[in-house]
Amino acid sequence: MAATLPVVAEDDAIAVLREATPFGEASPVVLSRIAALARPARYAAGERIYTAGDAADDIFIVASGRADHVFEPEVGAREPLKRVTRGGVFGWAGLLLGQTRRLATVTAVEPTEVLRIDTEALVALLESQPQEGGQVMARFAAMIRREFAVPELLAQVRRLSGPLTEEMSSLSLTMYRLSLWLKSPRPYLMLIGFALFLGIWYLAVEVWKLPRFREMPGLTTVVKEWFSPSPTYGLSLYTEEYYKHIVVSVWRVTQAFFLATVLGVTFGLLLGWSQRFREYVFPVFEMLRPIPILAWVPLAIVMFIATESAVIYLAFLASFYATALNTMLGVQSIDESYIRAASCLGASQKQVFRHVILPGALPFIFTGLQISIGVSWFSLVAAEMVSGQYGLGYVINTSYVMVRYPTIIIGMATLGLVGYTTSALVRLAGDYLMEWRVRELALAER
Amino acid sequence: MDMRPPPPATQTQGHLLIDDVVKVYDPEGAAVLAVDHCTLEIEPGEICMIVGPSGCGKTTLLNAVAGFHDITSGRILMDGEVLCSTDRPRSTPGPDRIVVFQNGALFPWKSNLENVIFGPVMQGKLGRREALDKGRAMMGDAGLSGVEHNYPGEVSSGMRRRVEIVRALMNDPKVLLLDEPYRALDSLTKSVMHEALLEIYYKNRVTIFFITHDLEEAIFLGHRVAIMTTRPCKPKKILTVDIPHPRDYSVLTSKRFRELIEETNDAVHEEALKAFQAGEKEG
Amino acid sequence: MSGQLAKFATNRAFWRGVIAVAVFLVLWEIGARSKQWMTPEFFAPFKALLGAMGFKKDYLPWIGAVPAPSAVLKAWIAVLGQAGYWQSWYMSFFRVMGGFFAAMLIGIPFGLALAVSRVAHGIGFPTFEVLRPIPPLAWVPASIIFWPTQELAITFITFLGAFYTIVINVLGGARSIDVRYFQAAQSMGSSRWDIFRRIILPGTLPSIMVGSAVGMGITWEVVVAAEMISGGGSQQAGTGGGLGFFIWNSYVGGSYEQIVVGMISIGIAGFASSELLRWAGRYATPWLRVR
Repeated sequence: MAATLPVVAEDDAIAVLREATPFGEASPVVLSRIAALARPARYAAGERIYTAGDAADDIFIVASGRADHVFEPEVGAREPLKRVTRGGVFGWAGLLLGQTRRLATVTAVEPTEVLRIDTEALVALLESQPQEGGQVMARFAAMIRREFAVPELLAQVRRLSGPLTEEMSSLSLTMYRLSLWLKSPRPYLMLIGFALFLGIWYLAVEVWKLPRFREMPGLTTVVKEWFSPSPTYGLSLYTEEYYKHIVVSVWRVTQAFFLATVLGVTFGLLLGWSQRFREYVFPVFEMLRPIPILAWVPLAIVMFIATESAVIYLAFLASFYATALNTMLGVQSIDESYIRAASCLGASQKQVFRHVILPGALPFIFTGLQISIGVSWFSLVAAEMVSGQYGLGYVINTSYVMVRYPTIIIGMATLGLVGYTTSALVRLAGDYLMEWRVRELALAER
Repeated sequence: MDMRPPPPATQTQGHLLIDDVVKVYDPEGAAVLAVDHCTLEIEPGEICMIVGPSGCGKTTLLNAVAGFHDITSGRILMDGEVLCSTDRPRSTPGPDRIVVFQNGALFPWKSNLENVIFGPVMQGKLGRREALDKGRAMMGDAGLSGVEHNYPGEVSSGMRRRVEIVRALMNDPKVLLLDEPYRALDSLTKSVMHEALLEIYYKNRVTIFFITHDLEEAIFLGHRVAIMTTRPCKPKKILTVDIPHPRDYSVLTSKRFRELIEETNDAVHEEALKAFQAGEKEG
Repeated sequence: MSGQLAKFATNRAFWRGVIAVAVFLVLWEIGARSKQWMTPEFFAPFKALLGAMGFKKDYLPWIGAVPAPSAVLKAWIAVLGQAGYWQSWYMSFFRVMGGFFAAMLIGIPFGLALAVSRVAHGIGFPTFEVLRPIPPLAWVPASIIFWPTQELAITFITFLGAFYTIVINVLGGARSIDVRYFQAAQSMGSSRWDIFRRIILPGTLPSIMVGSAVGMGITWEVVVAAEMISGGGSQQAGTGGGLGFFIWNSYVGGSYEQIVVGMISIGIAGFASSELLRWAGRYATPWLRVR
């Protein structure tokens, strides 16, 4: 089984590697580093290269000759027998999740020359090249699945550690999804949808001048006004005022949202965690909650001397309810057995809270925060319309009073955009904090 | 697999005595008798299988040992030390008796390795670095290298169960309490898991208290199999499995295995029928 | 019924709730009366501190400006006899129901269409998602311009409030129906219409009910603000403009007790209508009650 003759020269090794599916796209630098790891070996016809159940140490790449690769029946490969020739790769079991043994028996059919690469050395090399390493691993996975017809469940390759790989793979995943999306009819239907909406608006108001629609600001009027350097009604992308209103609204929501998050999460955790606290406090909470936030407007003006505080208070209150309630539900949703397991493993109450309750409630907390940022905008707009100076709600209301109709639509559209952006930011923060959940969902989707 | 013959019970730790335990749920209201004067002794290093239909009350017994539920009367001792008794109805959960749960309780928000080192780190027994080293080594021994940095949600359910058992063994428990851990697995995965469990067992020889409703699983794994009556739960018949350890899957086709199944099948079936007629739900 | 009451009486959680609510009311009363008990010289340094922090000196910050519960109760009893108060209830209820049923009528078929047809989803959903982040109240001025009467304008705003929630819930509900039900139905030879009527419709019913209950809450939320912003939509000033206008009018008229009366009234109205819907939902989906 040992190598005796100088079988494969180094240049040749690179050529062989390039023919192998996993390394086909690798850069010359990486290829030569992989080639440096490769040890040539030669097997006589009929010689057993390895047997299923052996330790899975080396990966083999065939340089010449032929070998029969026979899977163990447990593997469940669709075709148990595969014949590998030049460029064929086998002995990859060590790359699979949790696999340390050979899954197949390989026998040389003719005199066969191979390159042997130590699996761990290869993985270490790939880890040092996060970008390309990830691609090589991905190609390994694809090859194992397609060329060897191994069931998907088994054919899961190890994950390279290191943060960069993660970003790369998520980026390439995003690109992949994007290309899939572009190939589907969805983007085109979406364009049709937008065209219909805008078209009807345009035609109804400006061309057909339908009754009632006639009074509304038309599409072209609004767009012209919005993008005009010298707007008729004083507000466009080019005026400083426009940004001032946005900043004021965003700043108000930010304050309210952060205050509500800090207080709401704390309060919700307490509600969920301590039965006594919940029994005492929750009834009062539930008693106040049915009062619509917007019904608080006049009282808030009375309570807070400064209108600014009143406006923020209203936005805060809405957020607070949503966050507190969802946090409480999150704590209650945690499976009892996680808490039991933690106490079994010797965790103290404080540790259970820190390591089980908090992360376990996080998905619900973030659902709450998503709702919270939405309702925060919802109440802010109302509050700004009723009282307060500056802000997008104020723009919409004063534009109505001052009969600057196109500006109303500009205000609404801006509000939609800004509101959407803030929700997206909250969602991103959630995904960042709950990587485990993102991955679980991604797996479920596949 | 470890091919050495099984050492005769060399374990000195992990003796479990369940002595005349009674559990009544809701004593003032509906008063459901779940466990009725149950007595069971488990030797150190023994695999004792508890077999009974779903909802027969065997999990109640396990919860009492683990310290999740009170007992109404009787007592439970481990290595001569009283865990709980009529006067102190609930034992304190601790790392000497670790439960592997029915649906798995690996924390989904921690990577497999983080899960494995959870016990020693929480107890302050090991520093984080030492724990990581030990955890990696133990995962490697259990054939789990490569999934350390994956989250539990990313690996197969069979692998998750193995990680969970490694997490338990990291604490050098005296007793492992397994509550139908392989219930949700398909029969092929199950068979792999059984051999893996035995392999781990031959290395550690920890006392195993294993709850199941699968008679074949019980006879394949256990030194003894206790068949429980359905609500109230108490041993109906205790079978000593005289197939020598270490066992592997060839045992399943052996004559003795079949004989043992035949011997006990009626008893189990009878209880299952009773449970079915009583309309008990899963539990 | 009496059995249930007896159970309540011995329930620890119930009594804790009662205690908590009582404590809350007492604290509110004390806080609200701070104007009266903070007169002695004893409080002078404290008042100075309040002033330095930018609050009003004469009473506790925030809570001191709120009318006391006893005063609120008195004001409430006073308005109970006024026709205008009940007229406000009626007006708000009328608008809420109008907007809400319009939202059901349009939202449910729209949501179902999005769920059933891929083309409808492709065309309709993105536009829907683009419009959704605009809070319903931002539509108030546009709505007043568009609709011939204020009444219709307010109803339209309440419609918008409930519409988004209902559509999202219907869509989510229809999408989450287990595929096996479809397969089972197909294998039993059901037509497309049968599948729609016997699987999608009942399968979506729970989420329709949930969405409606939530939507009802939002409707009340919106109607109040719409009434405040648009000035009640009634020709007779002061009366009959709905509960939102009742609150606003009390504010303008300086009777702060009535503001709180209005808030509580809306709270009751919103809570009652949501509960009514939940109850109807349980009635309409008996198969969910078993567990």
